[in-house]
Amino acid sequence: MGDVVQIYEDYKDHVDFLTVYVREAHPTDEWQMKSNVKDDVCYAQPKTLEQRVAIANDFTRRFKFPLPFGIDDMGNAANDAYAAWPERIYIIDESGHIAYRGGMGPFNYKPEEAREWLAARYGAVKHEASASPPSGAPTSTAAPAAAPAAK
Amino acid sequence: MNRFWKWVAGVFGVLLVAAFAVLSFMAGSPKDAYGMVRYALPHMHRGKLKVGSDAPDARIVALDGVSRFHIRERTHGRPLVLVFGSFT
Repeated sequence: MGDVVQIYEDYKDHVDFLTVYVREAHPTDEWQMKSNVKDDVCYAQPKTLEQRVAIANDFTRRFKFPLPFGIDDMGNAANDAYAAWPERIYIIDESGHIAYRGGMGPFNYKPEEAREWLAARYGAVKHEASASPPSGAPTSTAAPAAAPAAK
Repeated sequence: MNRFWKWVAGVFGVLLVAAFAVLSFMAGSPKDAYGMVRYALPHMHRGKLKVGSDAPDARIVALDGVSRFHIRERTHGRPLVLVFGSFT
Protein backbone atom coordinates (compact mmCIF):
# COMPACT_ATOMS: atom_id res chain seq x y z
CA MET A 1 0.00 0.00 0.00
CA GLY A 2 2.95 2.27 -0.24
CA ASP A 3 1.60 3.19 -3.63
CA VAL A 4 -1.74 4.06 -2.10
CA VAL A 5 -0.11 6.35 0.44
CA GLN A 6 1.69 8.17 -2.34
CA ILE A 7 -1.55 8.49 -4.30
CA TYR A 8 -3.19 9.88 -1.17
CA GLU A 9 -0.45 12.46 -0.75
CA ASP A 10 -0.72 13.42 -4.40
CA TYR A 11 -4.51 13.74 -4.68
CA LYS A 12 -5.93 14.33 -1.20
CA ASP A 13 -6.72 17.93 -2.12
CA HIS A 14 -8.95 16.76 -4.94
CA VAL A 15 -10.67 13.61 -3.70
CA ASP A 16 -11.58 11.93 -0.43
CA PHE A 17 -10.00 8.70 0.71
CA LEU A 18 -11.19 5.93 2.99
CA THR A 19 -9.38 2.74 3.88
CA VAL A 20 -11.54 -0.07 5.16
CA TYR A 21 -10.00 -2.89 7.12
CA VAL A 22 -11.66 -6.17 6.22
CA ARG A 23 -11.17 -9.73 7.46
CA GLU A 24 -7.60 -10.92 7.51
CA ALA A 25 -6.22 -12.52 4.39
CA HIS A 26 -3.46 -14.59 5.98
CA PRO A 27 -4.19 -15.15 9.64
CA THR A 28 -2.26 -17.69 11.67
CA ASP A 29 -5.27 -19.98 11.92
CA GLU A 30 -6.02 -20.02 8.21
CA TRP A 31 -3.65 -19.37 5.37
CA GLN A 32 -0.57 -17.92 6.97
CA MET A 33 2.32 -17.03 4.69
CA LYS A 34 6.01 -17.27 5.42
CA SER A 35 6.25 -13.56 4.74
CA ASN A 36 3.87 -12.90 7.65
CA VAL A 37 6.32 -14.54 10.03
CA LYS A 38 9.25 -12.76 8.47
CA ASP A 39 7.50 -9.41 8.76
CA ASP A 40 6.20 -10.20 12.22
CA VAL A 41 2.61 -9.77 11.14
CA CYS A 42 1.01 -12.73 12.84
CA TYR A 43 -2.61 -12.50 13.87
CA ALA A 44 -5.38 -15.03 14.19
CA GLN A 45 -8.58 -14.28 12.34
CA PRO A 46 -10.49 -11.89 14.64
CA LYS A 47 -13.57 -13.47 16.19
CA THR A 48 -14.80 -10.28 17.83
CA LEU A 49 -15.01 -6.65 16.81
CA GLU A 50 -12.64 -5.78 19.64
CA GLN A 51 -9.99 -8.03 18.13
CA ARG A 52 -10.54 -6.54 14.70
CA VAL A 53 -10.26 -3.01 16.10
CA ALA A 54 -7.05 -3.94 17.93
CA ILE A 55 -5.39 -5.26 14.77
CA ALA A 56 -6.49 -2.25 12.77
CA ASN A 57 -4.99 0.05 15.39
CA ASP A 58 -1.77 -1.97 15.42
CA PHE A 59 -1.57 -1.46 11.71
CA THR A 60 -2.18 2.28 11.64
CA ARG A 61 0.27 2.86 14.51
CA ARG A 62 2.99 0.65 13.15
CA PHE A 63 2.96 2.23 9.72
CA LYS A 64 1.77 5.69 10.72
CA PHE A 65 -0.85 5.13 8.06
CA PRO A 66 -2.12 8.55 7.02
CA LEU A 67 -5.32 7.70 5.16
CA PRO A 68 -8.71 8.03 6.85
CA PHE A 69 -9.46 4.62 8.26
CA GLY A 70 -12.46 2.48 9.15
CA ILE A 71 -13.19 -1.12 10.02
CA ASP A 72 -15.71 -3.45 8.48
CA ASP A 73 -18.07 -4.79 11.14
CA MET A 74 -18.20 -8.47 12.06
CA GLY A 75 -21.07 -8.99 9.63
CA ASN A 76 -18.60 -8.14 6.85
CA ALA A 77 -21.17 -5.86 5.22
CA ALA A 78 -18.66 -3.74 3.33
CA ASN A 79 -16.62 -6.74 2.30
CA ASP A 80 -19.70 -8.48 0.92
CA ALA A 81 -21.04 -5.39 -0.83
CA TYR A 82 -17.75 -4.66 -2.55
CA ALA A 83 -16.26 -8.15 -2.87
CA ALA A 84 -13.32 -6.54 -1.13
CA TRP A 85 -11.26 -9.45 0.27
CA PRO A 86 -8.31 -9.63 0.28
CA GLU A 87 -7.68 -6.18 -1.16
CA ARG A 88 -9.33 -4.05 -3.77
CA ILE A 89 -9.66 -0.40 -4.78
CA TYR A 90 -12.74 1.46 -5.95
CA ILE A 91 -13.34 5.06 -6.90
CA ILE A 92 -16.84 6.40 -6.29
CA ASP A 93 -17.70 9.54 -8.21
CA GLU A 94 -19.57 12.60 -6.91
CA SER A 95 -22.89 11.13 -8.02
CA GLY A 96 -22.39 7.98 -5.95
CA HIS A 97 -21.59 5.66 -8.82
CA ILE A 98 -18.63 3.36 -9.26
CA ALA A 99 -16.14 5.19 -11.46
CA TYR A 100 -13.30 2.71 -11.10
CA ARG A 101 -13.38 -0.89 -9.96
CA GLY A 102 -10.05 -2.47 -9.27
CA GLY A 103 -9.33 -6.15 -9.51
CA MET A 104 -9.06 -8.66 -6.70
CA GLY A 105 -5.70 -8.64 -4.98
CA PRO A 106 -3.01 -9.53 -4.90
CA PHE A 107 -2.59 -10.31 -8.59
CA ASN A 108 -5.03 -7.75 -9.89
CA TYR A 109 -4.58 -5.15 -7.19
CA LYS A 110 -3.22 -2.25 -9.21
CA PRO A 111 -3.10 1.13 -7.47
CA GLU A 112 -1.51 2.53 -10.61
CA GLU A 113 -4.86 2.13 -12.37
CA ALA A 114 -6.53 4.28 -9.73
CA ARG A 115 -3.71 6.77 -10.15
CA GLU A 116 -4.36 6.84 -13.89
CA TRP A 117 -8.04 7.65 -13.28
CA LEU A 118 -7.06 10.47 -10.95
CA ALA A 119 -4.36 11.72 -13.29
CA ALA A 120 -6.81 11.81 -16.19
CA ARG A 121 -9.10 14.00 -14.14
CA TYR A 122 -6.78 16.13 -12.05
CA GLY A 123 -3.50 15.91 -13.87
CA ALA A 124 -0.51 13.68 -13.38
CA VAL A 125 1.81 14.21 -10.44
CA LYS A 126 5.44 13.70 -11.33
CA HIS A 127 7.97 12.38 -8.88
CA GLU A 128 11.73 12.47 -8.97
CA ALA A 129 13.15 9.17 -10.16
CA SER A 130 15.12 8.82 -6.94
CA ALA A 131 12.15 9.50 -4.79
CA SER A 132 10.82 6.36 -3.31
CA PRO A 133 7.21 6.10 -2.29
CA PRO A 134 6.50 5.98 1.39
CA SER A 135 6.92 2.51 2.67
CA GLY A 136 5.26 0.81 5.51
CA ALA A 137 1.84 0.93 4.10
CA PRO A 138 -0.24 -2.09 4.46
CA THR A 139 0.55 -4.55 1.82
CA SER A 140 -1.13 -7.72 1.57
CA THR A 141 1.27 -10.55 1.73
CA ALA A 142 -1.50 -12.35 0.12
CA ALA A 143 -0.33 -15.34 -1.46
CA PRO A 144 1.86 -16.02 -4.22
CA ALA A 145 2.51 -12.46 -4.90
CA ALA A 146 2.13 -10.00 -2.77
CA ALA A 147 -3.39 -5.32 1.83
CA PRO A 148 -4.47 -1.73 6.30
CA ALA A 149 -3.13 -4.85 2.59
CA ALA A 150 -4.32 -6.87 2.82
CA LYS A 151 -2.84 -8.84 1.84
CA MET B 1 -16.27 -51.94 -18.84
CA ASN B 2 -14.80 -52.21 -15.43
CA ARG B 3 -11.35 -51.81 -16.90
CA PHE B 4 -12.45 -48.71 -18.79
CA TRP B 5 -13.57 -46.98 -15.60
CA LYS B 6 -10.35 -47.89 -13.86
CA TRP B 7 -8.47 -46.14 -16.65
CA VAL B 8 -10.70 -43.11 -16.42
CA ALA B 9 -10.19 -42.94 -12.67
CA GLY B 10 -6.44 -43.41 -13.10
CA VAL B 11 -6.13 -40.66 -15.70
CA PHE B 12 -8.30 -38.34 -13.62
CA GLY B 13 -6.12 -39.01 -10.59
CA VAL B 14 -2.92 -38.32 -12.49
CA LEU B 15 -4.36 -35.08 -13.89
CA LEU B 16 -5.45 -34.02 -10.41
CA VAL B 17 -2.00 -34.63 -8.96
CA ALA B 18 -0.38 -32.84 -11.91
CA ALA B 19 -2.69 -29.87 -11.52
CA PHE B 20 -1.91 -29.62 -7.80
CA ALA B 21 1.80 -29.88 -8.53
CA VAL B 22 1.61 -27.03 -11.04
CA LEU B 23 -0.46 -24.93 -8.63
CA SER B 24 2.04 -25.62 -5.84
CA PHE B 25 4.84 -24.45 -8.07
CA MET B 26 2.94 -21.30 -9.00
CA ALA B 27 1.84 -20.56 -5.43
CA GLY B 28 5.22 -21.36 -3.91
CA SER B 29 4.38 -24.45 -1.88
CA PRO B 30 1.72 -27.16 -1.52
CA LYS B 31 0.44 -25.35 1.59
CA ASP B 32 -0.04 -22.14 -0.40
CA ALA B 33 -1.69 -24.07 -3.20
CA TYR B 34 -4.14 -25.47 -0.68
CA GLY B 35 -4.68 -21.99 0.75
CA MET B 36 -5.36 -20.63 -2.69
CA VAL B 37 -7.97 -23.27 -3.42
CA ARG B 38 -9.50 -23.15 0.06
CA TYR B 39 -9.55 -19.38 0.65
CA ALA B 40 -8.93 -17.40 -2.54
CA LEU B 41 -10.74 -19.41 -5.19
CA PRO B 42 -14.21 -18.94 -3.67
CA HIS B 43 -13.71 -15.17 -3.86
CA MET B 44 -12.53 -14.92 -7.41
CA HIS B 45 -15.88 -14.39 -9.07
CA ARG B 46 -17.68 -12.59 -6.30
CA GLY B 47 -19.08 -9.14 -6.71
CA LYS B 48 -21.43 -7.76 -9.29
CA LEU B 49 -20.38 -4.14 -9.14
CA LYS B 50 -19.38 -2.54 -12.41
CA VAL B 51 -18.33 0.89 -13.46
CA GLY B 52 -21.56 2.92 -13.44
CA SER B 53 -23.23 0.84 -10.70
CA ASP B 54 -24.64 2.60 -7.68
CA ALA B 55 -21.99 2.40 -4.98
CA PRO B 56 -23.36 0.36 -2.10
CA ASP B 57 -23.34 1.89 1.35
CA ALA B 58 -22.16 0.09 4.44
CA ARG B 59 -21.74 0.99 8.09
CA ILE B 60 -18.13 1.21 9.14
CA VAL B 61 -16.62 1.14 12.59
CA ALA B 62 -14.19 3.90 13.46
CA LEU B 63 -10.75 3.14 14.84
CA ASP B 64 -11.97 3.91 18.38
CA GLY B 65 -14.12 0.80 18.09
CA VAL B 66 -17.20 2.71 19.19
CA SER B 67 -18.12 5.36 16.64
CA ARG B 68 -19.84 4.33 13.43
CA PHE B 69 -20.18 6.05 10.09
CA HIS B 70 -21.38 5.21 6.62
CA ILE B 71 -19.23 5.08 3.53
CA ARG B 72 -21.57 7.57 1.87
CA GLU B 73 -20.82 10.08 4.61
CA ARG B 74 -17.25 10.21 3.41
CA THR B 75 -18.10 11.62 -0.01
CA HIS B 76 -18.01 15.34 0.53
CA GLY B 77 -19.15 16.28 -2.94
CA ARG B 78 -15.93 14.84 -4.31
CA PRO B 79 -14.90 11.42 -5.60
CA LEU B 80 -14.00 8.88 -2.93
CA VAL B 81 -11.09 6.50 -3.28
CA LEU B 82 -12.06 3.40 -1.33
CA VAL B 83 -9.22 1.09 -0.38
CA PHE B 84 -9.94 -2.30 1.13
CA GLY B 85 -7.32 -4.44 2.78
CA SER B 86 -6.11 -6.16 5.92
CA PHE B 87 -2.85 -6.33 7.86
CA THR B 88 -1.67 -9.73 6.77
